[in-house]
Amino acid sequence: MTVDPSRTDDLAVVGTRRPKIDAMARLTGEARYADDLSMPGMLVGRQLRSIHAHARIRSVDTSRAEALPGVVAVITGRDVPIAYGVLPVSQDENALAVDRVRYVGEPVAAVAAVDEETAEQALRLVSVDYEPLPAVLSIEDALDPSGVLIHGEGQGANVHKAVALEFGDVDAGFAAADLVREDVFSFAGNTHAPLEQPATLAALGGDGRLTVWSATQAPHYLHRALARVLELPSSRIRVVAPPVGGGFGAKTDILPHEVAAAKLAMVTGRPVKITLTREEVFHSHRGRHPVQMWVRTGFTSDGRITAMHFRSLLDGGAYGSFGVASTYYTGALQTTTYRIPAYRFEGLRVFTTKPPCGPKRGHGTPQPRFAVERHLDRAAEELGLDPVELRLRNAVEPFSRTVNHLRITSCGMRACIEEVVSASGYHGKKGHLPRGRGVGFAVSAYLSGAGLPIYWNDMPQSEVHIKVDRGGGVTVFSGATDIGQGSTSTLATIVAEILGLQPEDLAMVTADTDLTPVDLGSYSSRVTFMAGNAAIDAASKLARLVAEGAAQRLGVPPEELVFRGGQVAVRGDPRKSLSWAQAVRAASARGALMTSGVYWAPEMAGPYRGSGVGISPAYSYSAAVVEVATDPETGEVSVEEVWIAHDIGRAINPVLVQGQVEGSVYMAVGEALMEEQSFRRQGVHRGPSLLDYKLPTTLETPKIHTILIEEPDPEGPFGAKEAGQGPLLPVIPAVAAAVEDALGVVVHEVPITPDRLLRALRAGHRGKAPVIGPASVPSFEFGEPERVQPPVGSPAEVAVP
Amino acid sequence: MVQTTFLQPASWPEALEARAANPDAVPVAGGTDVLVEVNFGRLHPSGLLDLGRVRELRTWGREKGRVRVGAGVTYSELITQLRGDLPALATAARTVGSPPIRNRGTLGGNLGTASPAGDCHPVLLACGAEVEVASSRVSRTVPADEFFVGPKRNALGADELISGVWIPRATGPQSFSKVGTRNAMVIAVCSLALALHPDSGRVGTGIGSAGPVPLRAREAEAFLEGHLAERGAWESKRPLEEAVVDRFAELVSQAAAPIDDVRGSLRYRRHALRVLARRSLGWCWNDYREAAR
Ligand SMILES: Cc1cc2nc3c(=O)[nH]c(=O)nc-3n(C[C@H](O)[C@H](O)[C@H](O)COP(=O)(O)OP(=O)(O)OC[C@H]3O[C@@H](n4cnc5c(N)ncnc54)[C@H](O)[C@@H]3O)c2cc1C
Repeated sequence: MTVDPSRTDDLAVVGTRRPKIDAMARLTGEARYADDLSMPGMLVGRQLRSIHAHARIRSVDTSRAEALPGVVAVITGRDVPIAYGVLPVSQDENALAVDRVRYVGEPVAAVAAVDEETAEQALRLVSVDYEPLPAVLSIEDALDPSGVLIHGEGQGANVHKAVALEFGDVDAGFAAADLVREDVFSFAGNTHAPLEQPATLAALGGDGRLTVWSATQAPHYLHRALARVLELPSSRIRVVAPPVGGGFGAKTDILPHEVAAAKLAMVTGRPVKITLTREEVFHSHRGRHPVQMWVRTGFTSDGRITAMHFRSLLDGGAYGSFGVASTYYTGALQTTTYRIPAYRFEGLRVFTTKPPCGPKRGHGTPQPRFAVERHLDRAAEELGLDPVELRLRNAVEPFSRTVNHLRITSCGMRACIEEVVSASGYHGKKGHLPRGRGVGFAVSAYLSGAGLPIYWNDMPQSEVHIKVDRGGGVTVFSGATDIGQGSTSTLATIVAEILGLQPEDLAMVTADTDLTPVDLGSYSSRVTFMAGNAAIDAASKLARLVAEGAAQRLGVPPEELVFRGGQVAVRGDPRKSLSWAQAVRAASARGALMTSGVYWAPEMAGPYRGSGVGISPAYSYSAAVVEVATDPETGEVSVEEVWIAHDIGRAINPVLVQGQVEGSVYMAVGEALMEEQSFRRQGVHRGPSLLDYKLPTTLETPKIHTILIEEPDPEGPFGAKEAGQGPLLPVIPAVAAAVEDALGVVVHEVPITPDRLLRALRAGHRGKAPVIGPASVPSFEFGEPERVQPPVGSPAEVAVP
Repeated sequence: MVQTTFLQPASWPEALEARAANPDAVPVAGGTDVLVEVNFGRLHPSGLLDLGRVRELRTWGREKGRVRVGAGVTYSELITQLRGDLPALATAARTVGSPPIRNRGTLGGNLGTASPAGDCHPVLLACGAEVEVASSRVSRTVPADEFFVGPKRNALGADELISGVWIPRATGPQSFSKVGTRNAMVIAVCSLALALHPDSGRVGTGIGSAGPVPLRAREAEAFLEGHLAERGAWESKRPLEEAVVDRFAELVSQAAAPIDDVRGSLRYRRHALRVLARRSLGWCWNDYREAAR
């Protein structure tokens, strides 16, 4: 019996179009999301949130709230004094503010009461004595030397993280260039807006163990943080992620209400549930960082990149969250699409007194991707080259190493470009559509899973267990959380393929720290690749056990058996077979049928600090052409049609991949045209509701043509790579390029609101440059970069003429 | 626990009596505004007066040159049943919310809320509609442009309910348009209704979301009426000069009293109104000329 996950022929279920195995449950309301859970004696938890962007807390008086009938407990920062953070380097957040608040909406106290009304009323009875401090709302404010320090003294300015790295000799690269271009860009912050508002239910069992059901993308990280903050051994805590109604990164961090619910359950001895209101979701945030960017690139006259210098400044909000990783990500993936022989990256993240930013779909890469793609369009103009041709001339080679030590394996970028350009008729349209209509093009790459876990350890990044009962029932245990992307279906499909069963035949147990082995979580597009490989490992081991039992019964060597259509049959002689159930019985007679599989990413990190960010066992590639119709009089932009090609390696289930691609396009359209997390002068959110925070509806969603490029990746499960985040990336710059083509304005900033577009057009009418975008970026002294030798055989040694 | 009285009259006279006896009870039609307010904790009604069982409110009928639309007629009904008689109102109804909201939300509820962004209001202003209100004692009508008295405030007395709206049937072209980055489930950045009344030589306008109340652009109306009459344009049906269209648009824009907010800047709103006015006049005058051929 052999399993060859890279085989491309003869697949029974992998590659077939089928609904998610939980589709009916989710559609009919049978799926029980965290907020659907209820327990006898359950209390309702609510958090009191700061009304100041920045203030010292002199005192918190909870006595009146505690005296209110129906209130069971009130806790404050003093009850959960241990700081935490998802990254070991940023343990800077408290579930309830201790002596300072740093954004409007930061939790200060939490109550547990018999019902929602009482809990709400109790919040109004908590009095907090604040000493207001100046709000810090922009990168410029944060860097002002005379300004206030958000995280206390001693740190100097409000710098959370500053990075300066140089790979290869950038000065020499610029010296060798025929054209050196500089541009500046700005990308507004925006939020995830998952349909499901985060909710957490916590309960202490009679045995004193704490169970926490939470809408989380990463139960393992929540488990760790709870153990730390609650000072309980991990073995006393069980974290369960029920089906999650969309995450997009919003539920990857440890959120204050998760800790508060757990603490309240411990204090009261009763189950406590906290569900965030939609308004609170905007405060909880952890979304896309606002980023200002400056980029300088050298080109030869025939358009080859000789060097790039990229600088990004991130407005991080009040806390660290994933910010250190976000900062590195704004500089890491530029080299995954283009051969850049010498590269310098400077990244800065500052603290401001706004809700913390964190990871949102594409984590730290949509902003630089927007900048780099627009910058290349500018360069193409100046060089007199077609933008597509410029990309092709610089395209990375498969199986190469980038100057910043990223390992590129399979790469379908060229195929993506060729497909979208021809399907859309790009060349016949660009510059030829009537005024007001235009097309734009861009490419991108994204990780199939971060190469390293968030905290350093040498344990597997994913484990899957499979258990078979004596009747033949197969149960798969995985720590991965299905956040709607269909990871549970994907894992079922992979296991079913190997065992010759149907995905619907399997019982799936997921995301439960008591029952399932660790998977690091549903972030960084890692589940299909990493949990998928662990599932292959576990299923292959199981197939081996079953084959040994069946082989004995059938009197052939186990190597001659194939698993197909619910049968275990002798290869080439399908009449000689056992049903799956018979085979399982035969194998069970030899011992327990339970296996585990693991996945470790290969060692890939380069020889420098920060090299853990950006590495991945494989990169997906995407290319998009966008066609827009604009109204030059009102400034309205409508995205009419999008052609997008995505190098998926292999689509385990094309329906799910297409869903991810279309969802990414939808989200990108919102970020390009309307979404913005914006604040009034005192740091108050301008519209924390789905009415005022504009997301596209179905009416604004364009016609989407999805083209899947399937060249199996050598390390991916059945060749698969990621689909959840990459396809978002090229769409935003392509929308901007299309608006440029339509109206002749320069678009270096998103969102492209009607107001901004009209202002640019008006400037054009007055004879000024019609530009949407910043004139400069805030200045910051990065100092000397850490110089890193490029890897041997990188483009640095071959590309500079 | 807060106590709320729930009143559910089965007929219009009962509804008016209930209203008189419980002036603090909040009337509820489709509930698409009331329940949002309650859920957000902005409204704590001591009583609710559900009008859902009052059949009389759900009907509409033609009378002479007018249509009387009951306060309880929904957006979906306006779209499917009154498209021909009241084209601009049907267009406005089509832009409201989403299908569930259009199935629940009513014309009377829109007037009850009297938001400056209510989508029916510009059309009612442009058409010269009258709001019919009644108490258990007396019934009266209020011209639409006297009905909106302040931000989210209307001319309704404490013992009164809206029974219906009298709207002249279209005798000429009408339009309703709005701008915004998103066109469903939004509060418009601004909107404009225009109605041409060739029989009376009148021009009607209504501006939404660009002032504390829905507004008429009276000077723009007078200017265009004067121009059309003076030049005999209603009869000759000749094209309008660019300068006339521009002047009309300018006057519409000036009539607005917009503010800067999260939905749009003051400057953008004025500009957008100018564009909407120019376009609306272009469409309507064009339709008028074509209809004559
Ligand atoms: C998701 C969503 C989207 C929306 N989109 C739009 C939109 O695009 N455009 C728009 O204009 N509005 C919109 N609305 C607001 C709302 O739907 C409309 O204002 C609708 O017309 C209200 O009608 P209703 O029957 O639901 O009113 P209700 O909520 O029942 O009542 C509204 C007000 O009118 C009063 N009232 C109702 N009937 C009477 C009566 N007969 N006599 C006296 N007072 C009365 C009530 O007391 C209350 O003050 C939206 C609302 C939601 C929730």
